[in-house]
Amino acid sequence: MNKKIVRTLCLGTLVAGVVPQVQAEDLTVNRLLASQCAQCHGTNGHSVGSIEGLTDESYKDLYEDLMDMRSEDRPENIMDHQALGYTDDQVRRIAHYFGTLSGKAGEAPEFKD
Amino acid sequence: MSMNRRRFLQACGASAAVSIAPTRVKAASAPHVVVIGGGFAGATAAKYLRMWSDRTIDVTLVDPNASHTSCVLSNLVLNRRITLKELKMDYGSLSSFYGVNVVRDRANKVDGAGKRVRLKEGGWLNYDHLVIATGINMINPPSIDYKLTPHAWIAGGQTNRLASLLNKVGPDSTVIMTIPKSPYRCPPGPYERACLIADIIKRKGLEGSARLQVLDANSSIQAEKHTFENAFNNLYGNIVEYITDVEVEDVISTEGRVVTRTADYVGDVVNIIPQQRAMGFIRNAGLTGDGLWASVDPLTYASTVSGFDGVHIIGDSQATGQPKSAHMANAQAKVCVDAIIRSLAGVPNDDPERVANVTTASACYSPITYDQASWLSAVFAYNTESGQMALTHLGEADRWSTGNYRQMFGWASNLFTDSFH
Ligand SMILES: Cc1cc2nc3c(=O)[nH]c(=O)nc-3n(C[C@H](O)[C@H](O)[C@H](O)COP(=O)(O)OP(=O)(O)OC[C@H]3O[C@@H](n4cnc5c(N)ncnc54)[C@H](O)[C@@H]3O)c2cc1C
Repeated sequence: MNKKIVRTLCLGTLVAGVVPQVQAEDLTVNRLLASQCAQCHGTNGHSVGSIEGLTDESYKDLYEDLMDMRSEDRPENIMDHQALGYTDDQVRRIAHYFGTLSGKAGEAPEFKD
Repeated sequence: MSMNRRRFLQACGASAAVSIAPTRVKAASAPHVVVIGGGFAGATAAKYLRMWSDRTIDVTLVDPNASHTSCVLSNLVLNRRITLKELKMDYGSLSSFYGVNVVRDRANKVDGAGKRVRLKEGGWLNYDHLVIATGINMINPPSIDYKLTPHAWIAGGQTNRLASLLNKVGPDSTVIMTIPKSPYRCPPGPYERACLIADIIKRKGLEGSARLQVLDANSSIQAEKHTFENAFNNLYGNIVEYITDVEVEDVISTEGRVVTRTADYVGDVVNIIPQQRAMGFIRNAGLTGDGLWASVDPLTYASTVSGFDGVHIIGDSQATGQPKSAHMANAQAKVCVDAIIRSLAGVPNDDPERVANVTTASACYSPITYDQASWLSAVFAYNTESGQMALTHLGEADRWSTGNYRQMFGWASNLFTDSFH
């Protein structure tokens, strides 16, 4: 039965607003990574509680915020500790996902080598 | 939880509208995924299967109950901060908004070769993929009567019963709580419960007369060690007696007697949290091998037992060694759903880009007093060398606080909504 299923064209293809350097990326991988934020921040960042949502985040701001948390000398709050669990590239993918959802992926953060 | 209805509906509408790179599965007829168990793992799986496939997969969710009662926050029923009713999650949005076919029944047999699962009332159900998410089953001490000595480790009637037993604690009462050997559901949960019982005793003004004996089958505190050691030794030093390496052999409920290898302990209120394992039909199918939990590949949560093509086990029932928490059950459901959709679309799950980015997370808020809480945070990533999920970062709160207590409800309402709505 599975053989009948045609490989989808959507996987890994472009969606509007994707910045050039991540064109070849599999966006479902970013979606899976970012979905781990939803337990605290709501489905696709739509928070129903007191914790802030992520629906208005830009790629640049979210990336920079997360990188800041990862470099705290004394990680204190729960989000510092969550951020510390991810690699630079994973943080970038997560930020890119939410930036694309909010329509604010246009301005890319500056990446340090 | 009481949800803000408007914001909740907004969240639902928006999440469906902005699906990024939807993975439409094209087939002559829609593939069918059956999800057994509508708790945190199963409900999340059903919702995300529909959402991420852009509704191109038919999903049937099977649970014997009309709603799921959350264990998360259920310790707060014991000290009357919330009621059990507030923890009821119904399947209304899953069926009406996401189009999940919700069936009220109980699975009792898996036929791996025939790719079908048998329901108690409804008979055999065919699947392309089967997701088993049925939580835990208790290994009962031979003589126990849970009416008298409840476990209250699956939220429901026993939670209310334990609450009323604790309400009757008076001067010179002894309360006994037992903690099973790891792995068990919610690593910090029993210690959190011990703190809340101690707080109940304290708030009754019984510090120094009533006491709580915590009998731990493990040789040390299993989670948030710093926090609970501090609470047991200092905050509740006059109330809690914490005893390690005590394994329960039997419970004589009518006498409040806990029989262990080394001694008998007798209490006025006895709360037994028994050893746990996966449900009987999972073990009977051979999905656990000789063990208690189902072994799975953490890239897909597919069973590693041969002959069960397309069978996935998520949440507390599986054996990856990640903490058995609701946050984690929700996390695993998403990895599993992603894998099922890719597999139905003919896209490999062992693609290096995906493998490098399979992560899960857990966060647990633990109330320590009537209005203060601590927390635990853990992130896991797939390790290509071991083929297992490995902890990438673990953190615990410096101290318990009222701020954390408030944040706990913010976290829970999003966890509940992300899983059930
Ligand atoms: C006191 C307490 C506090 C906790 N606090 C936290 C916390 O703060 N944070 C956290 O993340 N986790 C917490 N947990 C742990 C959390 O509740 C579990 O890890 C989580 O519920 C596991 O999800 P699950 O989907 O595997 O199982 P469950 O949520 O238990 O769901 C299993 C579902 O399967 C159904 N089912 C069972 N058998 C069958 C069958 N044969 N056929 C069909 N359906 C069936 C059941 O009706 C149930 O709805 C706590 C647990 C307890 C007990």
